[in-house]
Amino acid sequence: MSRLFFVLPRLGRGVFTIWFAVTVTFLLLRLLPGDPALAVASPNMTEEARAALLTQYGLDQPLIVQYGLYMWQMLQGNFGVSFTQSVPVMDVLLQRLPWTLLLTFTALVITVLVGIPLGVLAASKRGKVLDKIIQVIGVTGQSIFVPSIGVLLLFVFGLSLKWLPIGGAYDTDAYGMDWYASVARHLVLPAVSLMLIQLGSYVLTMRSTLIEALGEDYVTLAKANGLPYRRILWKHALRNALLPTTTLIGLQLGFLVGGAVLTETVFAYPGIGRGIYEAVTQLDFPVLQGAFLLLAITVVVANMLTDIVYGFLDPRVKTS
Amino acid sequence: MTSLDPVNATPTGLPVSSEALSAEPVAESGRAGAATWRVFRRDPLGVISLGLLLLLVVVALAAPLLASYPASYGSDVLKPPSLQYLFGTDSLGRDVLGEVIWGTQQSLLVAVAASIIAIAIGTLVAVIGAYFKRLDVFISVIVDLTLSLPVLPLMILIAALIGPSTTTIIGVVAAFSWPEVTRLVRSQALTVVNLPYVDAARLMTTSPVWIIGRHIIPAVTPVIVVSVVVTASRAVLSAAGLAFLGLGDPTTWSWGRILYEAQQSGAMSSAWWLTLFPSIAILLLVLSATLLSIAYNDARNPRNRAR
Repeated sequence: MSRLFFVLPRLGRGVFTIWFAVTVTFLLLRLLPGDPALAVASPNMTEEARAALLTQYGLDQPLIVQYGLYMWQMLQGNFGVSFTQSVPVMDVLLQRLPWTLLLTFTALVITVLVGIPLGVLAASKRGKVLDKIIQVIGVTGQSIFVPSIGVLLLFVFGLSLKWLPIGGAYDTDAYGMDWYASVARHLVLPAVSLMLIQLGSYVLTMRSTLIEALGEDYVTLAKANGLPYRRILWKHALRNALLPTTTLIGLQLGFLVGGAVLTETVFAYPGIGRGIYEAVTQLDFPVLQGAFLLLAITVVVANMLTDIVYGFLDPRVKTS
Repeated sequence: MTSLDPVNATPTGLPVSSEALSAEPVAESGRAGAATWRVFRRDPLGVISLGLLLLLVVVALAAPLLASYPASYGSDVLKPPSLQYLFGTDSLGRDVLGEVIWGTQQSLLVAVAASIIAIAIGTLVAVIGAYFKRLDVFISVIVDLTLSLPVLPLMILIAALIGPSTTTIIGVVAAFSWPEVTRLVRSQALTVVNLPYVDAARLMTTSPVWIIGRHIIPAVTPVIVVSVVVTASRAVLSAAGLAFLGLGDPTTWSWGRILYEAQQSGAMSSAWWLTLFPSIAILLLVLSATLLSIAYNDARNPRNRAR
């Protein structure tokens, strides 16, 4: 029962956020200069097909009716028809979504796996040279434009050293295990680029919360009891400092997805981000609208899952 | 050396603890400002950052004197850096040095304009929310929701629909930057409205405009200064991102547009100078702005003055 009471509000919040995203999109498309019909129907369609689609969205009706119809179409997953490919936007995007999920999830995991130990190291060497170096790397990483670091890695490891492929997501001539290996090799450079720009926030947050935790009474008590410093640091203080870092994942997801759009463009990675780049070039508005909504839904769902899983791991969250 | 302590400031502005921002909840008087400057002056990283930013401003203002506008096509196509072309040439034979110099103007313009608009809206919304408690629930929900969404894809959709121009970019970046400002300023403003002197002011006047303008906004000014820098440096990255995807102003040079054209011509990875120089420019601007805000925060914090 208590689990239900824990999960339900979070589910509700997620649904509410998605509603907000759809509403904001609707309002922006209607209130800003520019033809809202462009977001669903191509000017190059046949007159009847265009008229049918416009009636579906009720673009000849008052605003409130339009809003209702828009919501109804979105609920059915109807994001309009792609201008260039003449297929439903949803089909185009769902084909690309797995690649984006693979890239962002990998980037997130390696960021956490590298960021947390670095933060712990910086906190335990507070004020020393190593601490300064780690902090400078973190701050610099946050200031880098993702495509810059992407092209640099591409140039060094792809073109000069020829260690890793320079673009795409897999080898077209590989099958079975080879195919999986090629997917992994294509993933390295984009994921590392994303990691480098994300790392700073995790390292700096981990460091400051851990420094705070190390000042707590239970740490003093553990020291007085003669526990080894390493054990206090990694076992007692770290566990309590992990909560703010987990919250950071939720805060950073939107930023991570934005970074993925640019990274995929550099590496010609066949995810939604590269789709956005191609859609911009061809002014394919339905794809752009669908891409935002689908990415928003993905972020909201991921956020919700992190929240719920963490709640089960940390009893303090559930009771408060 | 500066202590790059994120408790005082974080470059992305994300994990700023409320404790740090409420450290000094009173307006910075002239004397406190002078004390801040005295501490700041002794911080090499802060001074170097300030110098770099000033240098970029000078480059932006003096662009017409430093290089001719790179518009015409040249015959020297994709030449690596040499004495004649210090930053090399692009796939249409234009001088990359000129593009970077003129790009400085555009990038700074977008950053400054977008962050001024975002700061104005963000601060106003934050103090109104803090003062009128009923609106605060509504405002904080909107801010939280906007911050949890992936805004770059939304900016792309809108910029593409309106059509790329400098005004569009400034507007779009500002429209999605103010919630971050509101979040930063709000936490400070909430502590200020509960202080006794605000209660005293309420006895003196019934005008919320007077109290907000005279007492609350001055008290949150230090947070605003920090968020100007953070917002501006984020605006640079967002604008570069839009331009990199082909949504930059096609009539003006920007750092993002140099990268976009390099990508479009397929020369991005082979002609390294096309990416390197605009990338360094972006990094220098964002990094020096970030370090400056950290140094300012450190200098402002009285706990650091004692040392």
